[in-house]
Amino acid sequence: MTPHSNTRVDLVALFSACALFLSTIEYMIPKPIPFMRLGLANIPLIIALGLFSKREYFLLLLLKVLGQGLISGTIFSYIILFSLAGSISSAIIMLLIYTLFKDKVSRVGISIGGALGSTLSQLLISRLILFKEATYVIAPLFLFSGLISSIILGLAAQRFIVMSKWYQTMKEISV
Amino acid sequence: MKQLTLIDIIIFTIFLTISILSFTLYTTISGKPEVHVTSGGKEWVYDLSVDTQASFEGPVGFTSIEISNNRVHVHESDCKNQVCVLAGWISKPGEWIACLPNNVFILIQGEPVIAKEGEVDDTSF
Repeated sequence: MTPHSNTRVDLVALFSACALFLSTIEYMIPKPIPFMRLGLANIPLIIALGLFSKREYFLLLLLKVLGQGLISGTIFSYIILFSLAGSISSAIIMLLIYTLFKDKVSRVGISIGGALGSTLSQLLISRLILFKEATYVIAPLFLFSGLISSIILGLAAQRFIVMSKWYQTMKEISV
Repeated sequence: MKQLTLIDIIIFTIFLTISILSFTLYTTISGKPEVHVTSGGKEWVYDLSVDTQASFEGPVGFTSIEISNNRVHVHESDCKNQVCVLAGWISKPGEWIACLPNNVFILIQGEPVIAKEGEVDDTSF
């Protein structure tokens, strides 16, 4: 813990609040198929890379999953397993890509990588507990929608990072 | 966009390749058309050419399906969002309907019954 630990916790709280707000917005958008979502709540997680330590990042991740579960009412159902597995694996992959390549990769690449991790882990869980062998039928649709939505999210996050003066200041403080 | 880097393109290509490869999984579907219903860890198989009705119990109540005229649809479901009922009729192998709240998954497997009359050849992909 650094001397600024109070402001750091505030920052995690701010990002989680953003994720919670975006989950609410997401919940209002009608979905053609239950699993097909934009994943708006992932934008704070994509932006947060580079600002937080690993511990703080995973705290944010946990708060995001809990918040999403609360808002969609799935917190005590098996659907939370999908959310948890998807979020954890995407966070690990995004952290890994960011740590390996730093400025050589834009948020678009990070977002696509995260979506790949999340989609594959959710397909695996689906294979294990929900749709069994039938999972291969939903796989192509699931993968393509994940690819497209992650590109959109990545572009949004990248734009925010380039445009936001607040983000630049925060980044300088946290380094 | 200027900010895109080589790594971005590589990650994109990996994802795209996996997505395209996943389509080849479809070709494993063969045999005569059958309706597979998965619910609560169990699986039921119905003949698509025999008209019938069936009901499945899940976490939120009952989901009933109807098979008629070589087609199947969710006739009635106790779930809140009714996505499965709105999905309408399905008739081709590979098509599916899912009712997530009630944990019911309906999938048609097997060769297409009528693939000639003015239809795009669905076996070619």
